[in-house]
Amino acid sequence: MLPDLDNDTPRFMLKRIIQTQPQVSPLAPQISKHEETEEAGLEPPSKRISSTVEMQLPDLVPEDTSMTTFYMTRKKKKFSISEFERAADKRLPQNQTQSTLDSTSLARSLHMSLGSLIPPDTVEKRGLLRRPKNHKAIDMEAFEGGVEQNMLQRKAQNYLVDSQTASMIRRATLMSDAEIMMSNTELFVQPQFGEQSQHRLSALEPQLPESKISAQGSKTFDAAHEEARLVGLVSNVGTHEGRTQRYSEKNLIVDYEHVGRMTPVSPKTFVSQGEDHQSHFHQSDPMEQFSVPEEVVAGTTEHHANARYSEQLEKKLTKTPESQITKAQDARVETEMTASEEEEVAEGSVEHLDSPKAEPEIARSFGAGSLSRHSHAFSSQYFEKSGTKSFKKAVEQAGELEDRTVTGEVEEMEEETTDDEAEIEEPESQEISMNTPAFIHAAAYKPLSSLSTPHPAESAVPKFPLQPLRAKPVPKSSGVSRRKMHEPELASSLIKKVFSHYVKMPVARDAFRIVKKCSERYFRQLSNDLEAYTQHAGRKTVEVADLEVLMRRQGLVTDKMPLHVLIERHLPLEYRKLLIPVAVSGNKIIPCK
Amino acid sequence: MMKRTAPRSTLRKIIKKHKPQLRLAANADLLVHLNFLLFLHRLAEEARTNAFESKSKIIKPEHAIAAAKVVLKKSRG
Repeated sequence: MLPDLDNDTPRFMLKRIIQTQPQVSPLAPQISKHEETEEAGLEPPSKRISSTVEMQLPDLVPEDTSMTTFYMTRKKKKFSISEFERAADKRLPQNQTQSTLDSTSLARSLHMSLGSLIPPDTVEKRGLLRRPKNHKAIDMEAFEGGVEQNMLQRKAQNYLVDSQTASMIRRATLMSDAEIMMSNTELFVQPQFGEQSQHRLSALEPQLPESKISAQGSKTFDAAHEEARLVGLVSNVGTHEGRTQRYSEKNLIVDYEHVGRMTPVSPKTFVSQGEDHQSHFHQSDPMEQFSVPEEVVAGTTEHHANARYSEQLEKKLTKTPESQITKAQDARVETEMTASEEEEVAEGSVEHLDSPKAEPEIARSFGAGSLSRHSHAFSSQYFEKSGTKSFKKAVEQAGELEDRTVTGEVEEMEEETTDDEAEIEEPESQEISMNTPAFIHAAAYKPLSSLSTPHPAESAVPKFPLQPLRAKPVPKSSGVSRRKMHEPELASSLIKKVFSHYVKMPVARDAFRIVKKCSERYFRQLSNDLEAYTQHAGRKTVEVADLEVLMRRQGLVTDKMPLHVLIERHLPLEYRKLLIPVAVSGNKIIPCK
Repeated sequence: MMKRTAPRSTLRKIIKKHKPQLRLAANADLLVHLNFLLFLHRLAEEARTNAFESKSKIIKPEHAIAAAKVVLKKSRG
């Protein structure tokens, strides 16, 4: 029935609508009769709008033509708004007629806007709904696929990176370990520059085993070797040189007969300075050999040893018949002794033996120019002659010996007869010279790296096809380690760590060496200063106050920077507690003042 | 670890080696260690400055030597 605009009240109109009109969902496209909505009543504008909207939706949706057109446009994915709006506007006038009935212009505007907005939705509802969905679906799928791929790639990369980094880290750690190992090796072979005498002495010591080897006196060797160790820091540059030369000569010339005599000499030479080595020559008895070590131990003082030696010298002179060779040896020894710095006793003993001094030439002829050569001669000779187990050790010690001696005593070498080249030595010298560069190079390279010298020495061993010797590991400690017992040194690892931490930059290895030398010098300065301060205070013990005075003078402790602050900054807690008194409850102060 | 224990006995031995007649108080060697650390600290700073000046990324021996000269002079007391 037709709405009666005049007579029907809104109430009645609505009622009619509700009763007659099918329920229309604003979303579902349905044919609606928007004629009923034309009635504008006292409805609130929003309701009106909504109803009109509702009415509109069904109106617009079933417009297939328009929809199709719209759809077409949509399919082309080129949505022309103008077209759409035109189509929408077609609908809109119809709706606008309704809207004119609206009371408020706002409602109208809203309606208009809604109308303009909604029709596109309704018209394109299907397409819009679907397209986004399709897009989303596609996008989602593609996105997810892409994400997975990315993840896989990233994972693969991560694995690669991880493996690489792990390997790198491993390599780095290995390298650092190797470096640590390398650096640690230095610890064992660090001579002290200020202790050249020790060097010489220790250099002398290896000679002892060498000579012992030739003597085949393993017993005496061990005994004397250890005695020599005990000897300590008695050394003499010249005599050292002389001894080395002498030893080389002896080795060159001496027969096995005289070898025994030589062995006792060596321990003595350590102790005595320019003593009567000839006496040693004559000592062939084992008793003497044992007595010699005793003398070695006891004869730390020159005079003491001198007395003994002179006694023994006379004894030996009367004892054994003096062969020419022995005389020659003595002469050589004497000449060498004279050549080097000698004691009075030595000279006196020389007089005893009326050995002709015409042997100096021979003596010198056997004297090689460089100590290392001597040692090499030793080693070469030992290679040939000796087959004892301690051979290898002698080689190692020779390496060390050379290392130290070369560094410390090049000058003395030159002082000695340098221009004498023994013919006998020449054939060997060639082989020796092969090693000398290595040795000298190693020595010049660094005393700290003397550990490397045993390696060239050991490598030299196989070169000599004579006896393959495996030195039994006799007191290994004596050769390389046990440095701290004789010469206390600060751990190089500590210095390196502290310095690297303070400097915060990579440091060259040679720079570390310099730092180490510097710290040694510093300790010397420090001890001097502390002694001065303590004596000034009339005390014999260095106290904390002395240390503070020192630091003040160094400029470390100022009025602005008290000592406690420095302590707290640089020392770990345990030491802080010991140094800084702290008050605790119960009227106690720790540490007690 | 950054901090290591101070080599107390080694320090005592070193001083004893240089000055056998000198004695050390109970905790004096800790202060000696502190002194040594500060000395290394100054040496490190000086060496680092030298390296920077020569635009080098690592500490070379020449930097260290120059630094040592300066710092040893300063810490004479």
